[in-house]
Amino acid sequence: MTLCPPPHPRPVPPEVQSVRDLSPELVVEAAVRCLRAVRPALGAPLSPLLPPGISARFRLASDLAAACQELGFGGDVGYQTFLYSSEHDTRRLLLFLVEKLPRDESERGAEPPGKSGALLRAIGARIREQLGTPWVPPACRTPRLQRLQGTSRLYPFATCPLVLPQSGGPPELQEYFGGAAPPVPAQPPVSARTPPALLETHAAQLSARHDWEAEWGGPGLASRLPPQEYVGRKRLRARLRALEPLRQVCPPRPQGPPPGPLDPAWLQEAFGAGGAGGGALPKGSRFTRTQHLTHEQDPQILLQQVQAAAETLHPSKSPEEDAGARQAGEEAALEETLARLETEIEGCRGEVRDAQLSLTQAEAEVRQGRLALGGREDALRLKARAVELLPDAQSNMAKLQLVVEASSRRIVSLAGQWERHRGPLLAEYRHLRALRDSAQLESSRRLSEIRTLHERSRSAADEARRKEELYKQLVAELEALPRDVSRAVYTQRILEIVGNIRKQKEEIGKILVDTRALQKEINSLVGKLERTFSVTDELLFKDAKRDEVVRKAYKYLAALHENCAQLIRTIEDTGTIQREIRDLEEQIEGETSAKPPASLDRILSDCRALREENALLAARARHA
Amino acid sequence: MELSAYAQGGWRLLGDPRRFPRRPYAALLRAAFRSLLDHSHAGLDDPDLKDIDPTVLKHCHAAAATCILEAGKQKADISAISTCLEDCKLDRERIEQFCTEYQKNKDALEILLGSIGRSPLHITDVSWRLEYQIKSNQLHKTYQPSYLVTLNVENSDSGSHPDVSFSCTMEQLQVLLSFVIFSMLGSSCGCNFLTTCQSK
Repeated sequence: MTLCPPPHPRPVPPEVQSVRDLSPELVVEAAVRCLRAVRPALGAPLSPLLPPGISARFRLASDLAAACQELGFGGDVGYQTFLYSSEHDTRRLLLFLVEKLPRDESERGAEPPGKSGALLRAIGARIREQLGTPWVPPACRTPRLQRLQGTSRLYPFATCPLVLPQSGGPPELQEYFGGAAPPVPAQPPVSARTPPALLETHAAQLSARHDWEAEWGGPGLASRLPPQEYVGRKRLRARLRALEPLRQVCPPRPQGPPPGPLDPAWLQEAFGAGGAGGGALPKGSRFTRTQHLTHEQDPQILLQQVQAAAETLHPSKSPEEDAGARQAGEEAALEETLARLETEIEGCRGEVRDAQLSLTQAEAEVRQGRLALGGREDALRLKARAVELLPDAQSNMAKLQLVVEASSRRIVSLAGQWERHRGPLLAEYRHLRALRDSAQLESSRRLSEIRTLHERSRSAADEARRKEELYKQLVAELEALPRDVSRAVYTQRILEIVGNIRKQKEEIGKILVDTRALQKEINSLVGKLERTFSVTDELLFKDAKRDEVVRKAYKYLAALHENCAQLIRTIEDTGTIQREIRDLEEQIEGETSAKPPASLDRILSDCRALREENALLAARARHA
Repeated sequence: MELSAYAQGGWRLLGDPRRFPRRPYAALLRAAFRSLLDHSHAGLDDPDLKDIDPTVLKHCHAAAATCILEAGKQKADISAISTCLEDCKLDRERIEQFCTEYQKNKDALEILLGSIGRSPLHITDVSWRLEYQIKSNQLHKTYQPSYLVTLNVENSDSGSHPDVSFSCTMEQLQVLLSFVIFSMLGSSCGCNFLTTCQSK
């Protein structure tokens, strides 16, 4: 059993075309080589060469069968599978062994043994890489080392606003974009700021778009306005809302001229008004005087400073200190004056406010008085007219009556006219209102449609994204799957078989149609024969009583009919017998394929050889 | 990966073969990468780009630079980039051209993006000592081993090298080591690990 395996496997001889032609030697060698490849521990003690001795052959074959069963071969396997092989068993065995063959190394490398395995391998590779590179000071790192050990120089995330050139817009802007505007990445003053600035601008644009989509999808659509109008209205609302607290904090000023507390024109006016009241004018003038003074002091101060500068040349400190003290005193005095003036201004402001209040009150009273005056004047005019008409009272009464009647008639006719106009206008109004209602209905219907469309588009986008993910995952899984060749082969074979079966079915259908046609023909022929026979029989039977020849002919006819029927029966019997023969032949064929006579012969010869060996051994034993 | 409307508009212009024939397209891509990675401001004076309207050119340049940065930021793979660019009506050839250029410059781009920000402390070396505590003031018998670890770190911002010392038990050291390993991996699996650790 410790035969050295030949260094190279023997090639399959060219005359072997199918599994049927494989000799037992080839089958054994194939099985042993497969076993060695699948599980070396099982295949190693087996020799791929069939030994010449019959008993050794049997032992090898049974060992092989046991090894196959250990590998998990489900079918019936024994020494006969290898030595007296039938095509069917050999094919099954070889297919099983080929399935068990390990995949190529490269293929096995491609498929990950599991997520954790891949992770561990990645960790190992990374650590190996990092351990393999020495530490390098930050300033000397190459790009690859920067990725491994950190970047040498870091820039803070500092951004700056960018001007984004774009077609469309006012011509001046276009001119700028086309000419002097620098390209966007070159706009930041420091080149290190370019990526942060671009990233920030992009993120701002994206978030603005998302905000707008959320806004427009929700309350924007419900407002039934075009987008620009909606934005305008929203801006207005926001401004009003922002102004509201401001208004509450600053109550409106009393009506009047003061546009602002620091407006010099208003100050002037206020002081002028105060001057009219007396007392404020001298203060105001003093204020202006002090102002003049301070302004006029400027040259003095300058002069002093020049003097001081000149004096520093001659080293004497006391005048300088004097000037400092003087300046401080002046400053204090000025501040005092300023404070006083401020309180006075406050007081004047209060007075002005009071005066304005009383002025508005007086104006309102005047207005009321004027109104009352107007009413009285009207009454006076009416009465004057009545007094004028008083002398010729009768005729005037009649005239007045006439005038009253005419005016009442006019009123009636005017009312008629009004009705005439009013009717169609009212109808039109109603019609328009109905139109508006229907339009509103339509618009709300459209709105709901749009909303459902929005929903649908959003869900479709989600679906698409989900499917994309799924697709990616499936592709990854597919790539992770072992390339299974046998599957394709099986599918192809199954497809071939299905095609053959379909073809056979068609053939069978054709044959069935033929058979049916034949049967029909036979039936019609039988019927015809029957009818012809009965007619002939009747005719001959009529004449048979009178004519002897006809009687004979009648007898012959009967005999003919009977013989023909017998013939037909015989033919039918032949058919059934032939069918039986075919069945039997099929059975015989099955038997011969199951137990071919060749293998029987081989078994017989092997048996004879075994007996001879046994006899030889027995003789040797006897000699010994 | 998602692009803003401005960037999408720029890419649509870039995908239009009448505005950008093949050579100017390639020149613009090169210019965009160069303007980001080489810090060179002389980007758009390529002779191939002479015939193109300067406004359109600047728009496309900004769009391309934005897309490159965004792809680098999100660590987008080829399929994500091509879906994004397909949305902008680019044909396959141009997308492939962009992807090859992107692959070529990917490392430099990652370094560029990695150099933005404050410098975290970078561990350069570590030394440790095993300590065995027999008893403490409070406990008569503790018998607990612990590690005294000193991390040598460098601070790229200030250029200083402070040492970080601490002591920890063996379990704590294990957790720390796993954190270090996963942060070295720097990939999504590290994040997964961290989330699982946090959930536990």
